[in-house]
Amino acid sequence: MEKEFTTISIPTSLYKKIEEKIKNSEITSVSSYITKVLRESLSKEEETQQPLSKEDEKKVKERLKALGYID
Amino acid sequence: MDKKFLVIGLDCAPAEIVFDRREELPVLRELIENGLYGNLRSSDPPITIPAWMVMCTGKDSGRLGLYGFRHRKDYSYRDIWIATSQSIKEKTVWDLIGEKGGRSCLVSVPPTYPPPSVHGNLISCFITPGNEKEYTYPPELKQEIEERFGPYIFDVVFRTDEKDMLLEQIYEMTAKRFDVMNYLIRQKAWDFFMFVEIGVDRIQHAFWKYMDSDHHLYIKGNKYEDAILDYYKDLDKKIGELLSNIDKNTAVLVVSDHGAKRMKGAFCINEWLIEQGDLVVKKKPQSPVSLDEVEIDWSRSRAWGWGGYYARLFLNIEGREIQGIIPPEDYERERDALAEKLLTVKGPEGEEWKTCILKPQEYFEETRGDYPDLMVYFDDLFWRSAGTLGHKTKYLLENDTGPDDAVHAQDGIYILYDPQIPRKKRKDAHILDIAPTILHAMGIPVPDDLGGKVITGES
Repeated sequence: MEKEFTTISIPTSLYKKIEEKIKNSEITSVSSYITKVLRESLSKEEETQQPLSKEDEKKVKERLKALGYID
Repeated sequence: MDKKFLVIGLDCAPAEIVFDRREELPVLRELIENGLYGNLRSSDPPITIPAWMVMCTGKDSGRLGLYGFRHRKDYSYRDIWIATSQSIKEKTVWDLIGEKGGRSCLVSVPPTYPPPSVHGNLISCFITPGNEKEYTYPPELKQEIEERFGPYIFDVVFRTDEKDMLLEQIYEMTAKRFDVMNYLIRQKAWDFFMFVEIGVDRIQHAFWKYMDSDHHLYIKGNKYEDAILDYYKDLDKKIGELLSNIDKNTAVLVVSDHGAKRMKGAFCINEWLIEQGDLVVKKKPQSPVSLDEVEIDWSRSRAWGWGGYYARLFLNIEGREIQGIIPPEDYERERDALAEKLLTVKGPEGEEWKTCILKPQEYFEETRGDYPDLMVYFDDLFWRSAGTLGHKTKYLLENDTGPDDAVHAQDGIYILYDPQIPRKKRKDAHILDIAPTILHAMGIPVPDDLGGKVITGES
């Protein structure tokens, strides 16, 4: 079974910069910030056509709520 | 193809009705008396999505990366994505049949919206947003169907107290679906024909308490005591009519994705987490609301849960969640501690619960997609999970979002009938066995990476 988390190294100077940046934000750790930025960057690259428009997604979510599959 | 194959999918059909009441269902009884039949262990989780696709691909939920209808988007607290046909990245039996030149006809197998291209014909399923959408493959099939039968009916809204109206709607939906299928089965060339009748699931959820004397809300002699069985009798006749279109070179499989049983109640998982100090809200709601509408203090919360027919638990991990607080090196320990606490949860009268907890990464050989940290079946699924907050109690004896009296059971059913090899044998199987069985019967090589085995009469 693969480990759930792995460690990477970044320059301390960059770490300190991020620490300063997130000081008064809701983000609780440098790790969380980095993960968020990387995910967003990868998402942009992987952008594929959405199977459901925003409006359709809302409709389907409401229906699934009414069916008890989600709350 | 060595043989043609017809799959009669009855969503949520349990052995308690299909096998135990077969004296009242002559068509199904005939198949049982001349076929292999038994319990069919469902997927984990035993929910319509992903169960039908676990069945049709022969790959489990972990491999499919599907753990229900909704999934977290990028470890967001609130953003989700809904499973659609485009979420299925593994080959289905009809893909494999198509590769060998076989044609398929598919009706409302979840999830098949947006309608994927198939070698044959397809009508999508109940997650179709509306009839104005393109819901068939090929696209022209929609007009062909609507000209003859009017707008296709994908589903009903069963969580209503207007029971008579609901019954009418369920019968109308099923009647139309069978009219459409009788047309397709006669008019279209096919080697593989499969449909899923969702009416079975809907009528059971809506009427279980009227039928099951063990249900805590059952009232003897009530008006709807026979509603479910009457529907099955009607369905049995319709199945008979559909079967009159097939020849002796067609094998038949009646199958369900999971079973059904009485709902004892809904356990408010997030109310419990607040009590445990694991979930911290900025302002406690005074009336029931979705978790999405509550202001959570994520910087002090360790876990939260999702409701549904089973519970998903998520941990708030530093570096994974944007306001995560549990250090990643503590992930396993925290998860184990939470699981241990969950196993101590008892019923409202102090009753012991047979709760089952799965860790996806350990349970599945491979865990793809957006899996939860814990999958929880409270009291063997007798208690569904309510993620909503603002209740005065952790235990709801009725559902939190509308009348629903049944939950899912882990065993569905199958009946495998080959007119050229009639035999009667009871043999329990697993949902992963279905795909290999279909392929083998049709003379198509079974890929090595399918999880199950061909169901045979041998012990």
